[in-house]
Amino acid sequence: MNLVDWVILLGTMLGIATYGSWRTRQVQSLSTYLKGSRSIGWGTIGLSVMATQASAITFLSIPGQGFESGIGFVQNYFGLPLALVIVCAVFLPIYRRLGVYTAYEFLGRRFDDKTRLLCAGLFLLQRGLAAGVTIYAPAIILSTVLGWRLDLVIVGSGLLVIVYTVTGGSQAVSLTQKWQMAVIFGGMVTAAVVLVSKLPDGLGVTGAAHVAGALGKLHAVDVSLDPTRRYTLWTGLLGGLFLSLSYFGTDQSQVQRYISGPSLRESRLGLVFNAILKIPMQFFILVLGAFLFVFYQFDHPPVFFNQSEWRRHAEAGHAETFRAIEERHEKAVAASQSATRAWLGVRASDDPAAEAAARTAMIEANRRAEAVRADAKAALVAADPRAKTKDSDYVFITFILTELPHGAIGLLVAVMFSAALSSKAAELNALGTTTTIDFWRQLRPLAAADEARNVRVARWFTALWGVVAVSFALFAGFAENLIEAINILGSIFYGVILGIFLVAFFFRRVGGSAVFSAAVIAQAIVIAMYLSLSLGYLWYNVIGCAICIVASLSLQAVLGPPTPRDVTRAA
Amino acid sequence: MTRPPPPDPPAESEPPGVPGFRTWRSVYLFVIGWFVLLVALLAAFSRYFS
Repeated sequence: MNLVDWVILLGTMLGIATYGSWRTRQVQSLSTYLKGSRSIGWGTIGLSVMATQASAITFLSIPGQGFESGIGFVQNYFGLPLALVIVCAVFLPIYRRLGVYTAYEFLGRRFDDKTRLLCAGLFLLQRGLAAGVTIYAPAIILSTVLGWRLDLVIVGSGLLVIVYTVTGGSQAVSLTQKWQMAVIFGGMVTAAVVLVSKLPDGLGVTGAAHVAGALGKLHAVDVSLDPTRRYTLWTGLLGGLFLSLSYFGTDQSQVQRYISGPSLRESRLGLVFNAILKIPMQFFILVLGAFLFVFYQFDHPPVFFNQSEWRRHAEAGHAETFRAIEERHEKAVAASQSATRAWLGVRASDDPAAEAAARTAMIEANRRAEAVRADAKAALVAADPRAKTKDSDYVFITFILTELPHGAIGLLVAVMFSAALSSKAAELNALGTTTTIDFWRQLRPLAAADEARNVRVARWFTALWGVVAVSFALFAGFAENLIEAINILGSIFYGVILGIFLVAFFFRRVGGSAVFSAAVIAQAIVIAMYLSLSLGYLWYNVIGCAICIVASLSLQAVLGPPTPRDVTRAA
Repeated sequence: MTRPPPPDPPAESEPPGVPGFRTWRSVYLFVIGWFVLLVALLAAFSRYFS
């Protein structure tokens, strides 16, 4: 990065944060601080919902996913439009009618305090840990490739987001997310244009798509019924539906984004905006990754994209082994490039037999190059069993740093930080709100009338969660597998939380005692299944939700009609 | 305390205010139709470039 890149990066990040803090510096109303301004339109709400879901990992890892495994990951989002329709039609009108600050406040009114606190507690546990990962995961990648100090990246980005989120609350989060999304869209389109311009002469977008397709990178829809396959049409529709319904309908970091706005119409249109655009956006990012794969078919890709990790081990007494692998890789890549060019030449002719033979040769040559990459990863593990062998997260950032012109590099690094800050801000805002509304005000009901004190307390809790997230991110390096554990933790809890909300919305005769006991039972069964079975993690969302609903209905039947208190609440 | 915002009108009586759509039900049907079209296009895309 040169001076131009630094000016663009720092100007963008500090400019947006300063703008958000300055515009919201006089927020004193609790409603505005926690729910945002009543004047924001559906466009801002829609972008805010999108920015909350899209973290830096979305823009670092998903192109890598497209590069390595193709675009099948897009199926993960197939449940999202249907889930958002349900949220628009059922969840949102009730949240707005009750005027709640948090989704869990609704559970307190519908059931009882213990069910509300159970869900709010699970949210704080899961989202509180995930908030650290939201900072740590992009910071480790960016600091590795850019050579910056990891702790400075974590503390710097963490402090920036804490300042404007604490200052302006939900309103500042929505305002800054709108501009951060503008940076993200601009940067991703710039990267796509540069990538296409760097493809070999005469190949073009269609030719690149044919190469990617022939090498198995453009298989978007898989109708296999194999339950151990992670991404299929069915896991996307069913598991994705439940995951999205749980995330958008019950996760406070999302609920807080769309319950604001001047009317139900604006909130609904903001969600419809996401229902229409999310799949095309993810498709675009994945195809970008598949085109990166094509680009490196004609260029000189490194044998291992995390070059910092590779060089570190090469210099630690394994230089000869690593050099031999690099030489084998260079030869395999050259053979693969020749085979690809040969296939493209034959493809233009009208000789199906020759085309099929050239295609087989290309696929085989590509397989041999991939086998050398697998050998490189095995060599890394042999050199150091704790070595990080997943390099797909480094593919896009390597392309950015080596192929983009100066200025565009600064813009793309700003994209990564914008995405990190936008999702982080929404998380801190939601954590601070839930702690204030669902716990602090429960413990101090007399303080609820003092609005200024409520805002002060919400600010302190937001800042506290920011410090917790930064501290966790600083120590996350000591336990790399925590990241995966936290993702699994989310899948294990989301289904049961969704089950509680679906019972609340659709089964009016079930009371608080039955649903609370059912949730505990369902959670225990899901954890036992996770420990004893090998099942795609999306399925736990469906299973947890189904067990919770069935157990709630069964327990209510055993317990008899709900108490008068429950009936009053449900009415 | 500041005065709470006025309550929303009943959920389905509020028109979407989107040209071409008179009810929210038609907006939702459009979203579902759009989704089905996307899946069909993605399947055709996979098949064409495989």
